[in-house]
Amino acid sequence: MNDRPPIVDVRGLHVRFGEVEAVAGVDLVAHAGQSSALLGRNGAGKSTTMRVLAGVVPATAGTVIVAGHDVRHEPLMAKRAVGYCPDVGGLVPRATPWEHLQLTARLRRLREWEDRARDLLERFELGDVAHRVTAGFSHGMGRRLSVVLAALHEPEVLLLDEPFDGVDPIGVEATLEVVSDARARGACVLVSTHLRELAVEACTTVSVLRGGSRVATMASTEMLGEEGARAYRGLLD
Amino acid sequence: MPTAVSSTEPVLARRRRRRPVGNAVRAVVDVGHLLRFRAGTVRHRGLSALGGLLLLGVSAAIAIVPAYVEGAGGPDEAFDVLVVLPTALAGFVVLAVVSAAASGGGRELIPRDPASVHPISPTTDHLGALLLAPLNIAWLIQAWALMGATAFAVGSDYVYQAQVVVALWLVAGTAFAQVLAWTLEGVRRVPHGIVGVRMLNVVVFGVALGLQLTDQMISVFDSLPTRWFVLGMIADDGGRWLASVGVVLAGALVLAVLGAVPAHIAAHRVPRDELHVESGQYASRPSPRSDLAAMVRTDRGSVWRAVPMRRGVAVLAIGPGVVAVLGNLQWGSMTILPGLVASGGALLYGVNAWCLDSRGTLWRESLPVSPRTVFDARALVLAEFLLVASLLTVAVAAIRAGVPSLPEVTALISTLLVVTVQVVGASMRWSFKRPYAVDLRSSRATPAPPSMMVAYSARLALSTTVTGLFFSALSQADDWSLSLLIAVAMLSWSGIRLLRVRRLWEDPTERARVVTTVAVA
Repeated sequence: MNDRPPIVDVRGLHVRFGEVEAVAGVDLVAHAGQSSALLGRNGAGKSTTMRVLAGVVPATAGTVIVAGHDVRHEPLMAKRAVGYCPDVGGLVPRATPWEHLQLTARLRRLREWEDRARDLLERFELGDVAHRVTAGFSHGMGRRLSVVLAALHEPEVLLLDEPFDGVDPIGVEATLEVVSDARARGACVLVSTHLRELAVEACTTVSVLRGGSRVATMASTEMLGEEGARAYRGLLD
Repeated sequence: MPTAVSSTEPVLARRRRRRPVGNAVRAVVDVGHLLRFRAGTVRHRGLSALGGLLLLGVSAAIAIVPAYVEGAGGPDEAFDVLVVLPTALAGFVVLAVVSAAASGGGRELIPRDPASVHPISPTTDHLGALLLAPLNIAWLIQAWALMGATAFAVGSDYVYQAQVVVALWLVAGTAFAQVLAWTLEGVRRVPHGIVGVRMLNVVVFGVALGLQLTDQMISVFDSLPTRWFVLGMIADDGGRWLASVGVVLAGALVLAVLGAVPAHIAAHRVPRDELHVESGQYASRPSPRSDLAAMVRTDRGSVWRAVPMRRGVAVLAIGPGVVAVLGNLQWGSMTILPGLVASGGALLYGVNAWCLDSRGTLWRESLPVSPRTVFDARALVLAEFLLVASLLTVAVAAIRAGVPSLPEVTALISTLLVVTVQVVGASMRWSFKRPYAVDLRSSRATPAPPSMMVAYSARLALSTTVTGLFFSALSQADDWSLSLLIAVAMLSWSGIRLLRVRRLWEDPTERARVVTTVAVA
């Protein structure tokens, strides 16, 4: 058990869109230096939970504390602490990667950010396209840039929603490196993915969501191999 | 919208060439499928059906009622209208060509990306664009003007037989416009084609200006072959009328079929302007000095790098100005132009302004910036976009208008400011109320479904035309400050309405509704 206060503290989270209840009572706690995976089937509520943590979608009920800030009452403070890679797109189609980075650096009051930005672009093999609009990017390129944007300001909370989706092995490796670096500097990382094996590789703990609720949280090692796959399937049904 | 060429295309093409009739039938049947699919996605079907019926009712009334008013079909004013009918018929075709060419071959029944997984042929695409052409306020107003003028000119004795010719003319003119638009689109897609089309525009404008300056425009109008159709409308001889109907009907059918040829040619070529935007390099600039400046810069890029916006605003900024120059429009009447241009500009993206970020909306919403700043940037960039277009139009229109009086200048400045704030306010209100997931990459993309575009354009046209006419009257007043005083009152009212939308935008639940809707494009 971790005695330090959690960086992400979600209690009784409900999110409703009209008649649809996308999240139905999720509790989630994550600490500094820890990386947690959110696993589950389509529609389990993973992305909606991530959007609430990123301050994009408000909770219908429940409390969400991110880096000590209540997302409902201090949305800007919470957003400053978060780096978010959304599940869909995540890029302004007619802006270049460099313009995306410039915008986030400006709004987060970053100084001397250019070298780190260039380094991240090179690590994700996006250096050559830094000044091309993202509308012409492949899906994988878009995913990689979204991770770069989330990681640029070395946030206290790194939220990666489906970061491995359609990404080539080099991109996957670079993303795992970003997660590892974030943990090493004491950030809290949450990764939402369908890919159990990559979740196990990237994270220390795994939470499984089903039907908008959390059904289990365990050490990622328990999800390893054939036995882990069977356990995961059992939690999904 | 047609699917990309596959490796089996030559084989398929050979097979298809052997069965042209079968392919044509299939294309028509596919249009029906797509129309049903599109109709199924309409949010408020009852309201849309009511709107459709209203449109038909208004069209029928415009086509018949003027024939029964006093003086209709008579030797005085009605005859004057009859004399200009051939020019009006030709004018409709010119406008239809400009509209279809500006939108890269006309509107799409299904947006390009979702359509790309279906085997939709360019013929289906062409027929769909033909069907959607009337769902455009410029087309509707022109058609209504033509029908109304015809009814008044020919009177109750000939109105029904004349309107048959006019209705068929509208179809034939639209089909002709489609043929020309696809052809121009095909030319734009060859190397140096864009430059070629631009040069062609300059030549056409130069010829028109030359004819006007040398007073030959009227003799050109008088020699138009459209006179033959107008004479057919009022022929007592049934055979002459039937001949007119037959020729227009045959022309409409031939042109509708013919349009498939350039549509196929264009579909097999790469859209160069889109490719240029997406593969071009944009040099980095120094970091912006404020949050607002940063948001404005991003929004400006989203607007001015979008092909439909660039092409649309060029047509909007130059087209009405050129017409004003050719028509020798005076300063007092020029107040009508800013409203026309601002309305058209808003229809390029403003009525669904949040769709600019498309899938990037989720990321942008996660940035630590006040929602007010985001709203202000979006509204400012839209206002700037509309003002640039309106100012350009006025600048072109002013070429032949001489020196304006002080009341005319203040009335025009007032109109520019008032309609811009009016249109920005309406656009931001609709963008907030009814967001749509739209990808504006294609030059044929529209920010909202066709039926909503008609509703938006009708409302914008009505409010801005009334404002323009009001200030036109004020431009004749002796006191130049009257326009400014009234403009301040109108700006205050529109400003308050705009601020009300901004307050609504600050609500996180409502903002999330907009953000999650547009992000799935």
